[in-house]
Amino acid sequence: MKYAFYPGCAVHHSSKEYGESCHAISRVLDIELTEIPDWSCCGAIDAVYSYKPLSSVALVARDLALAEKMGMDVVTLCSACYYTLNRTNKFLKENSELKGKVDAALSSAGLSYGGNVKVRHFLEALMTDVGLQKIKEKVKTPLTALNVASYYGCFLVRPAYLTSFDDPEHPKSLDDLVETLGASKVDYYGKIRCCGASLGITDENVMLEMSKNILLSAKDAGANCVITACPLCHFNLDAKQKDIESKFDIKIDLPILHFTQLIGLAFGIEPKELGLNKNLVVPNKILLQYARSVA
Amino acid sequence: MQPSTQPEKTEKSEETKPAEPTTPKKDRWAFVHEVEKLPGGEYVLDCLQCGLCAGTCPTRFAMDYSPIQIMKMIQMGMREEVLSSSTIWVCSSCYSCYSRCPRGVDITTLMMSLRNLAIKEKVAVKKEVKPKFHKTFYEVVKKYGRMHEPEILIKILKKSDLNELYRNAKFGWRLWRKGRLQIRPTKISNHAEILAILEKTAKEEAQ
Repeated sequence: MKYAFYPGCAVHHSSKEYGESCHAISRVLDIELTEIPDWSCCGAIDAVYSYKPLSSVALVARDLALAEKMGMDVVTLCSACYYTLNRTNKFLKENSELKGKVDAALSSAGLSYGGNVKVRHFLEALMTDVGLQKIKEKVKTPLTALNVASYYGCFLVRPAYLTSFDDPEHPKSLDDLVETLGASKVDYYGKIRCCGASLGITDENVMLEMSKNILLSAKDAGANCVITACPLCHFNLDAKQKDIESKFDIKIDLPILHFTQLIGLAFGIEPKELGLNKNLVVPNKILLQYARSVA
Repeated sequence: MQPSTQPEKTEKSEETKPAEPTTPKKDRWAFVHEVEKLPGGEYVLDCLQCGLCAGTCPTRFAMDYSPIQIMKMIQMGMREEVLSSSTIWVCSSCYSCYSRCPRGVDITTLMMSLRNLAIKEKVAVKKEVKPKFHKTFYEVVKKYGRMHEPEILIKILKKSDLNELYRNAKFGWRLWRKGRLQIRPTKISNHAEILAILEKTAKEEAQ
């Protein structure tokens, strides 16, 4: 299976381990990811859009135009990019006036976009193209000792008019994946609640409160770890966990893994190759349990 | 003699309480029609005030008006109040309200459009960091073609708050130790393309 790969800025910067683990499991599953040459930032949900909507659409249209030349579906690791790219496709399809302006801007850079690029999340590609059966065949070490809370967040499942591969209220793709890997799924309150996203930069206290509720509800439900499918969710739950603990004077100590890291563990890939040494909440406890299931 | 403290009390409580959306503005339709033309605002008149948006909103606790109030205020033409509310900036764009809205009002996309309107009209907002964040983000993307978190953070951080600076420095250290802090920005190789596109769109947007 071949895809045009749009990593998104976070995967190249603050969430390198997400990209590393994604490439590691892709090798096992015979997925070929070719990075879109010279891709640019998508404008991060509304960060650029709220300031200059037309510029934000044109910026993404450039990425889509570059991908169109490759003739493959685009796959991204970031839920925010997934949303932003799909939204741009929708805008260009429905608003001919906007499309005219964007086309003019693109042609000034010698590009054109015909509107034929399909944008998908890496998880979506795993679920629909690869299939759970094939993933199950590659599992070397079933993660039987782990209770995994799947955190879906926002843009993986919402809004339904852009992301139709899972249910927005009762998503189950990550939970199915967890069970396929031999672990037990955990049902909890926070699984589709927002983590605070970019409020972490502009309104940190609000974000800390939101992420705290997610983490505590997962912990109360008996989770050993949480898996995410978006670098921003992972950043807020993992990297900011220490800030949450000190602000609310509580102990959480819940390892947060990218879903690709969990798959990699079940595939028997070395933790270091999955970038597990880069997670800020050290996942030693899980690795110990993992070692037990190996033995 | 005793009741002398009473008037003071009511005055104070009225001050802190946000204005109730009760009286429709004379030119209410002007704002309603303006909103109807914005992305996300198409069905703003369809809102039947059920309150699912307010009940489901994860950032409601930090807003001055809840989403349901904003919807009513739009219907009543309260333009200034809507655009200067903290609500449009506290919204984290999670699409929970849209997902549950029985009338299909795309409140989340509308909030983005309202933020854009507030920035365009330079409405004074309660937290100045918010518009600054959007502008800085755009500038950084224009400069490199990619996002560069440290630069955005440094530019919007309040330099006078030493505590905040110290906390962020500590946080940066934690990331750096794990190899997750990219100190140098990555610039895309065909940067001229981005500049050409953004120059063209910026001209269009200035009109």
